[in-house]
Parts: sequence; C-alpha cells; structure tokens
Amino acid sequence: MGTTLRALRALLLLAGFYLLGVLLLALLAGADYLLILHAPASLSGKLVLVSVLLAIPLVRGLFMLRTPPDEEDAGLPVTEADEPELWRTVKELADEVGTTAPSRIVLTADVNAAVAEDARLLGLLPGPRRLYLGVPLLQGLSQAQLRAVLAHELGHYSNSDTRLAALTVRGRAQVLRTITHFEQRADNTAAREQAKQEKKNAKAEAKGKRAKEVDTAGAGITYRAMAQIYIGYAKLYFRATLSVSRRQEYAADAAAARIAGRDATASALREIPVLDGAFGYYMNCYATLGTGQELLPPRGEMFGGFDRMLSARQLELVEMRGGLPTGPTSPYDSHPPMAERVRRIEELPDDGRADEARGAALDLLTDARRTLTELEDAVLSEEVRAFRRTADWQELLDLVMAESFRAGTTPLHRAYVEYTKEQPTLPALLDLIEDGRLWQLAKRLPLSDEAAAAQGRVFREFVRPTLHKSLAGMALGELNARSLLRWEFSWERSAIPHLPPAADGTETDLDEVVAPAVADVPDTALLRALLAHDSQHRGAL
Amino acid sequence: MIILWVVLALIGLPLLALGLYFLKAIVQGAVEGWRGADDSDDDADKPYELPAAAAALGLLPPEQQKKDSAGPIPAALTAALDAARAGDWQPAAALMDTTAAERDWNYRSVHSSWLANVAAEDDTWLLAWETARPDDPGAALVRARSTVALASSIRGAKRAKHTTSEQFEGFHRVMAQSREDHARAVALAVEGDPVPYSAQIATALGLGYPHAEMDRLWQEITDRAPHHFSAHYMALQYWCAKWRGSEKLARDFAAEAAAKAPLGSLMTVFPLIAHFEHDESDSADADGTPEMRALVDAALADVAAADPSHPHVVEVRHLLAYYLCLQDRDEAAVEQFRLVDGYVDALPWRYRGDPAGEFCRMRDLSVANAAEAVSG
Repeated sequence: MGTTLRALRALLLLAGFYLLGVLLLALLAGADYLLILHAPASLSGKLVLVSVLLAIPLVRGLFMLRTPPDEEDAGLPVTEADEPELWRTVKELADEVGTTAPSRIVLTADVNAAVAEDARLLGLLPGPRRLYLGVPLLQGLSQAQLRAVLAHELGHYSNSDTRLAALTVRGRAQVLRTITHFEQRADNTAAREQAKQEKKNAKAEAKGKRAKEVDTAGAGITYRAMAQIYIGYAKLYFRATLSVSRRQEYAADAAAARIAGRDATASALREIPVLDGAFGYYMNCYATLGTGQELLPPRGEMFGGFDRMLSARQLELVEMRGGLPTGPTSPYDSHPPMAERVRRIEELPDDGRADEARGAALDLLTDARRTLTELEDAVLSEEVRAFRRTADWQELLDLVMAESFRAGTTPLHRAYVEYTKEQPTLPALLDLIEDGRLWQLAKRLPLSDEAAAAQGRVFREFVRPTLHKSLAGMALGELNARSLLRWEFSWERSAIPHLPPAADGTETDLDEVVAPAVADVPDTALLRALLAHDSQHRGAL
Repeated sequence: MIILWVVLALIGLPLLALGLYFLKAIVQGAVEGWRGADDSDDDADKPYELPAAAAALGLLPPEQQKKDSAGPIPAALTAALDAARAGDWQPAAALMDTTAAERDWNYRSVHSSWLANVAAEDDTWLLAWETARPDDPGAALVRARSTVALASSIRGAKRAKHTTSEQFEGFHRVMAQSREDHARAVALAVEGDPVPYSAQIATALGLGYPHAEMDRLWQEITDRAPHHFSAHYMALQYWCAKWRGSEKLARDFAAEAAAKAPLGSLMTVFPLIAHFEHDESDSADADGTPEMRALVDAALADVAAADPSHPHVVEVRHLLAYYLCLQDRDEAAVEQFRLVDGYVDALPWRYRGDPAGEFCRMRDLSVANAAEAVSG
C-alpha cells in the first residue's frame, strides 16, 4: 500500500471517529424500526425503551466531541521584541524546513519542545501555531542541539512527504485531545459524586450514624462507557496510522539532521531523556526541597539552579548518556523507539558539522536570568509564589533540615514510647542501652514475621539495621538541636552532614560511632563523647 | 415475527449449551475435589505401623528416628554441647584441643561444626572462651563457623522466592562479616589444619566466590589434607549446578576425588552424591545402570575398608542403603539400613519434607522384599 493510499485510509478512519456516534444511533433506530414492524406491541414497547436508554450515552458522547479550543499551557509568552535572537532562529528554521513559522512562542518550565496548532475542521485544515519551548531544554542543550530539536518539531508540519501525511499528524493530535477530554469529563463526574457522598457521610457521622464507604464506581458510568467506545476506535485509528506517523518521525529526524547537522541531532536525541531525568531529580531534591515548610529558593533560582546542577554533575550525566531507553513505547506514541531513531541518524554519512554552534542554547535569550525569574511568576501558582524566599540555597537547606529533625520520629522513637511510656531523649536511650535492655526495646519495633519468630543472635541481626539507622537519626537530631551539626549544600551530591571533629581532629564518621552502641556487647562511649563535644568545647572557651 | 425466533435461537441455544457445559464441569470438579480431599484425609489419618519383619530386626518407627544427626553423637561431644548451652566453655575447648593434638581433622571439623551451631543461637559461652583465651585457634574456628551458621539461620532454609529481601540482606551482611572471622581463624590455625580453610567454602558458596578463588582455596585445603571428607562434601556442593557450578563440573570433581583416593577414605561416595544432586528423573532407571551399580559397589568396598570410627561413615551408609534399595539389592540394603537405623539427618532423607517417614518407607520396602526373597 502506498503512502497516499495509507493516508487516504487514515482520512476515512478519522471521519469514522466523528461519525461513530451517528452510526451507532442509526443502528439503534433501524433496530427499533424493525421491532415496531415485526414484534408484538407489548414486547416492542419495552425493547424500544431499552434502545432509548442506550441512545442517551451515545447522544452525550456526540456532544462531548466538541472539545473546547486548546488552552495555552502555562508559560511565559515572549514577543519578537523580547527575544529577537530566539525568534530569528525559529523563523530561519521554519524557512529551511519549508513550513510557516509559529505565531507565538511560549517558554515553559519542562523538558519539552512542541509545536501546537489550532487545527480547524476536525484537523483537516491548518490553523495558527504556537511553539512551546521548555527553558530546561535551553539550559541543557547547545545551540546546535536546540536547532535540531526545533527543526524536528517544525518538520512535522512540512509537506515534504505528502500533503495527506501531514494531515494524519494533525488528525492524531486532535483525536488524542478528544479522548483526553472524554476521560476528564468522566473523572469530573466521579469527583462530583465523591464530593456529594462525602458530604452525605459527614452528615451521617454528625448524626452518629456509621458512614458508608464512598463508592464512585457507578458515577460517570455513561461517560466512561462512551469514552470506552471512542477510545477503542481511537486505538484502531492510531494503529492504522502508526506506520505513516513513524515515517513522519523519521522524516522529521532526517530534516533535523540536514538542517542542524548529524551529530547535533543524534546527541540532542540522546540528551533529552537524560535532561528529563535530571530535571525531575532537580525539582524533587532542590527546587521543591522546602515547599513542605512553605519555603522557596531565592527569586530566579527555582529554575535557575538547574543549569548549575547540570554543570556540577557533568560526570554523572556522561554515564547516563551511554544508555538509551529501549522499553516498549505507548500505543498512542507516534515516536519510534529512541534507540532506533538515534541509530538511523548516526548511520548517516559524516557531514563534518560536529563543531557547529556549540554555545549554550540559553545564550539565545536576551537576558537569561531575567527570563528565569519571569518564568517563575508565569508558571507558579499564586499560593506558591507567596511562600517565603530564603536568602540562598544554604539557608533553605538549613531550615529544612532543622525542621525535619524536629518533626522526625523514627521507629525507635515509637518503640521507646511503647516500652517506657516516656518521650525518648538520646541520653535516656543511651542509659537504656548500657543497662542491656536494647533488645527488649527492639521487640517493640515493627517486625517482619521472620524477625518476630527469631531468637537470640538471629533476632539481633534482624533488628540491627533498623536500630542503627534510627539511632543515627536520633544522634543527628540531637546534634542539630545543639547546633553542632552543619549541613553542606552541594550541587554535586546530596546534602552532607558535618559532625564535630573527633578528638584527634579527623572527620567523624557517624556510622562508626553508632555501630558499637548497637553491637551485641554495646559500647556507647564514642556516641557519648560525640554528644559531650559541645560542653568540652564550651569548657575550653 | 419468525425472524425474532430465528435470532433468539441462533444466539440463545449456543449460550445455553455453553452454560450447561460449564455447569457440568463445575459439578464434576467439585465432586472430584471432595473425593480427593476424602482420600488424602484417609492417608493422613492412617498411623504408621511398624511391619513385623522390621520390628523383628529391632528397627524403629519414624517417631523414634533422631532428626538432628546421621549417626550416634560421641558422648564427649554431647557433654561439651550441653556444657556450652549452660554457659561453660571449658569442655568445648578441651575437645578442640584434643583434635588439634591428635591432628584428627575429620573430628575437628565435626566438633567445630556442632559447637558453631550452638554458638549461632547464643554465643555467651564463646565470648567467655575468647576472653579467657584471646588467641585460641579452636575458639577462632568456632567463631568463624558460627558466623556462617548465623547467616544461614537468618536466611532460613526456604527457596529464594520464599525468602524475603530482609532475610537476604541480613544473610549477605553477616556472611560478609564471616570473611574477617575466617581470616582470623586461618591466622591462628594449628599448623597443618585444613578445617579453617574448608570452613570458608560455606562463605564461598553463600557469597558466590569466583571459580578461581575457589580453586585457590582448594589448593590450601588439599595441601594440608588431600582426602578431608567435609571439605570434599562442601566443595561438591559449591560445584553443583544449584550453587556455583554445573552438572559437568560437579561430576568431574567427584570422579577425580574418588579416583585418586585410597580405599577407606570414603571418597567414593562423591560420584553418588553428584548423581543424586543432578538426577531429576522420576523413575529409578537412571539409578540402576551398570555404571551406577559399579559406583555403589566401589562405595561398598570403601565403607568396608574404612575405620569404623570415621565420623562420616554413617552418611555414606545412608546413601548406599538408598541406592541399594533402588537397585533392588534389598538384602545388601537391609544390612546398611540396620547399621544406621535410629538417625535420619543424612542424604537423601535430609532433602525430603518428612525425612523419618521417607527413611522408614524405603527401609520397610527393602525389608519386605528381602524377606520375600528368602522365603521364595
């Protein structure tokens, strides 16, 4: 089957997606007509009623097809006056690809670049385009790599293959958007039902009745049923158009390699999964470190720290670049496996452009630091923006660590309370250890079946890791409370605790101090010496 | 109107037939399950009855078979174990000193292994021993082997999929500690003693030492004692497919050990063990081949020539009894069964869910067949 023929089939299937409801309704009406014609009145009346009930979700489904116009993703729109260099690059690339340039550029805060189009007439006609460009991509890619990524995205809209193939891409995007909208509507109905039931339960509890389990299985069922029918059809459509859209992806890759250079394109493809992982890690471990305590890093640092982490962790990133994800891709995903795409590009002949445009993509922005600050205002919710800003990253870390120990309870804390009915303090715990009662206390820890059944030395080995970890945590908390602990902020590693130095001036290793205290023959001397440090220290002053 | 009936018939009848078929299957299954449950109840409820022929030979029922040993435990060892459990290390130390003085490495291995198992439960007495005699080679050996035994207790005896990650984690942590204990036992070892080296095979097995490391260890052992029984036993386990080797490696290792050894060293049992460890057939055909009969004959000659006080001769007799029974050499089997009756902690019974029951079942079979042969 030729590409044109395949695209034609895709076009028919796309029409079918929108005609599905009408078709099903027509089938029901036809059945009713036959019934009224041939069945006895009493029976046909009931069956017609059933068919009307079946028709209701179909009609609702038809109404659901009217997806609202695509809302613009949260981001920072930039005009040509704001970012002349970026706009010039994008226009130049669109020109080289042979398609119209987007009319808007929106900077976002994720590792992503996408061209979205408000296609008209169910995806049959092109519409105005928006380029979404993730600032983390700018932070992690070189200019040549960014050109490759943009050329690929714009390449989807070029008509280099066939006119109908571009149409397939548009149709896929539209269908995907429609079924996502379906599922959202169904979820909304379920959420409304949940809220209603919870309200009812609250009332029942207020009257002293036992609350029923909140059950939303039935809610939104007609929506869900309809969504199922359309999703089933959409899957068919996606499968039928897969080969066309994969071709499109390869064609877009080839276009990118032609315009931005082979090596830049291949390395950009390798880089994106790495950046994605690194950015997730950054957001988790750095940017949102203090959000639990309503703390934020200084203005402009929320996303601005990412490129600092990237440069500090170059070695780690080199390792991550080696492997490419090879796992199965989603059936909706038009992209062929990343490894295959990279292989195809790297097989192209050397174009001798390996050293082109190696500058950081971030330099395309007029004032990167100002943009990063404005991006925060654009994507953070009002509530988050109101959080306190710390003076620097170190202060953020200090405040978070102090709080985490104040609130922290280890399994050992809870076991201690159960055993002594007193609140645990480290000195009291050390007394108990010296009394040889640690193993009695350990029986109150949460234990696995195997550990609970064990006796003597075997039992002690089972509980030792928990005891060690909990005791180390308590010791850190105690040192922290006495301001003896210093946390070192690092872009390279996770936060490093610095303990007071040992008597001979060397760095103290907490594990070596804690291990003897939880040994079979306990020795708490090292731990006590560490805690006594401040009194000695102050005594010396 | 007629069209409706046609449609109903087309859809309804096959559905009805399918429903009936399922119903029949469900009822059948339930009935079989009920009968099956009934049968197994009968089996389980039937108490074991010692056959008259076995009773006449003075053989014991399963409940009187000791499940913690392959044969009688020497009185001195029993006394030392009891003393250790009571906190007294001196008899244990005396026992270990004797084996060192007599250079009796087989018994030194047996004694240290039993003592290590006691210390894995509670090592108070061992700590006292170590405090009283800081560089005692016997205490260091028992310490190293008790760490290994402790690791095994943490892991439990179940298969990997029934073992939790907490158990594996503890096993590896404690096994790793045993390396240090082994090194100390080796450093303090009595000159010529292979046991501190052979004890390391358990760690090699647990932590998966590479073959090259195992060969190096093996050189240390055979330099000191070329036909040390328990070292060969553990090494064969290492080379088995289920641990770190393969069927070929295990069979080659066993054949070489048997070929080089003098009569009476009991090394001829290892080809039988290698066969047993890799035999997955359901029938006894693979056990009755001329080659297997020859291996059994060689082992019979070996036990006959062995020192009757050799601590491992009973283990060989257990396996011989099993294979003689499978080879329908019932009279010879009964002879071996009689010599080991009363104890069942040996191959092949040790691997079974009910060692004593299995032992008695096969023993009674041979006793009955032998009696028939005589009367017939």
